[in-house]
Amino acid sequence: MHERLSFYIPRSSTLHQLNPLTKVTLTFTLIILAFFSPWYWTAPLLAVGVILPLSALGQVLRPYLSAAARLVLPAVAFIFVMQSLFLPGGQTVLVRLWLLEVTVESLSAAFLTTTRIFAMVSAFILFLLTTHPSHLMSDLTRRKLPAAFAYVIISTLQIIPQMQAKAQTIMDAQRARGLDTESGFIRRVQALTPLVGPLVFGSLVEVEERAIAIEARGFSSTRPKTSLHEIPDTPRDRAIRWVLLALIVLTFASKLWLS
Amino acid sequence: MSSVGSTSAPVQTTGRTGLVGSVRRDFNTMTWVLMPVAIAINVAIGQIVLALKLPVYLDSIGTVLVGVLCGPWAGALTGLLSNLIWGIALDPNALPWFPVAAAIGATAGICAKFGLFKNWWKTAISGFLIAIVAAIISAPIAVLVYGGITASGSSMITAFLLQTGQGLYTSVFSTNFLVEPVDKISTALLAFAIIEGLSARYLARFPRPENAALGAQADRRTQLLIAVGIVIILFLVDAFIIVNLISD
Repeated sequence: MHERLSFYIPRSSTLHQLNPLTKVTLTFTLIILAFFSPWYWTAPLLAVGVILPLSALGQVLRPYLSAAARLVLPAVAFIFVMQSLFLPGGQTVLVRLWLLEVTVESLSAAFLTTTRIFAMVSAFILFLLTTHPSHLMSDLTRRKLPAAFAYVIISTLQIIPQMQAKAQTIMDAQRARGLDTESGFIRRVQALTPLVGPLVFGSLVEVEERAIAIEARGFSSTRPKTSLHEIPDTPRDRAIRWVLLALIVLTFASKLWLS
Repeated sequence: MSSVGSTSAPVQTTGRTGLVGSVRRDFNTMTWVLMPVAIAINVAIGQIVLALKLPVYLDSIGTVLVGVLCGPWAGALTGLLSNLIWGIALDPNALPWFPVAAAIGATAGICAKFGLFKNWWKTAISGFLIAIVAAIISAPIAVLVYGGITASGSSMITAFLLQTGQGLYTSVFSTNFLVEPVDKISTALLAFAIIEGLSARYLARFPRPENAALGAQADRRTQLLIAVGIVIILFLVDAFIIVNLISD
């Protein structure tokens, strides 16, 4: 339950200094390339040849590898095994296990799907490791994203750890009173109400106070607001974004042209 | 934009009419403040359920809550941001599923608009409708992004159906129809229990308090009996859908 709530790791690398929007564009370009490129080996090549070197450039190689090992590898390994065993079709049988067959076709389909998922999730991880959520939100607000969106995202990121701590406290308190959270199924279902009730009603009561507090600070004012952080957007950022956009267009064009 | 969506004859005297006006009315300060709390409820309850090792997710109770109290648009936005934040903060694997979360919030809002969140058995029907929508929307994502077999435990069922010679989409749809109703009916009922526990004075500050206005009610035991009956009927309907899907 005590998970770190933001993946962000403060460094002063080239990647960290890029404008957040440039990094968003980079992430989506990588994902679109992985899923829509007509070439079979694109996704594994992106993962090894682009995302890995970029994480080294961003000085987050070690956290990147540990996050990928924790979040992606187990899921991807499970999906790979399941799909190569269970996807139907294919003639060339490689291995026969009881009723199940591993064919060349199912193996190659499983490899394609899992490398794509790996590329997608690791692109997101790289983005999250090098971008602070509030920098991203300040930059997007400056680009005319309604400030209320930024409020929801940033304040959720602050509320979740408080809520997790509260949930832990409630769970400990109810266990101390003898609540059974570990035995049979019925008991565990019964345990849900005394755990969830206090947590939910407690946090909903705060909503009203919070609304009054932010209203008093000009939340629904429509005048332009000043920002504490200035996030630089250099010509280099703009150039990178145009190149990435061109890449996306090229990917879709080649996909359409070849199919 | 003269009077495109003004079918529901607005009684309020805000001066705005049409779709834009009705959407804007749904997003007052209380809505914006409820959304982060609702998302945090999604995450916290989702994790408690994981800790209790129950066979459901229950990770969209907050989304349904916003859908009922603030309308379908606010519900959809809450679902979308909920998955976005789940992806940012805990696990990027949640990100591709954001259309499902958005659809859950929107469906809850629409059901509430038609009075389907006013007592226990109506709420069970809402939960079933939400489950159907979630099942339909998540299937293409499961197939196109994950090739049909995802990392969740219910993929074992999909794999089994594939082995019996079913098509990919049929297997994924059947699995979803099998798994989703249990989860979404419990989600809707828990959201209703929360709404029932809140005071009318508190609910009145949200944009759509009329969705939760509980009228004169039969006594609790009859109501719960009806709800149980409805849930059994819904599961029979669900079983009928699955059997039809598989025998096609």
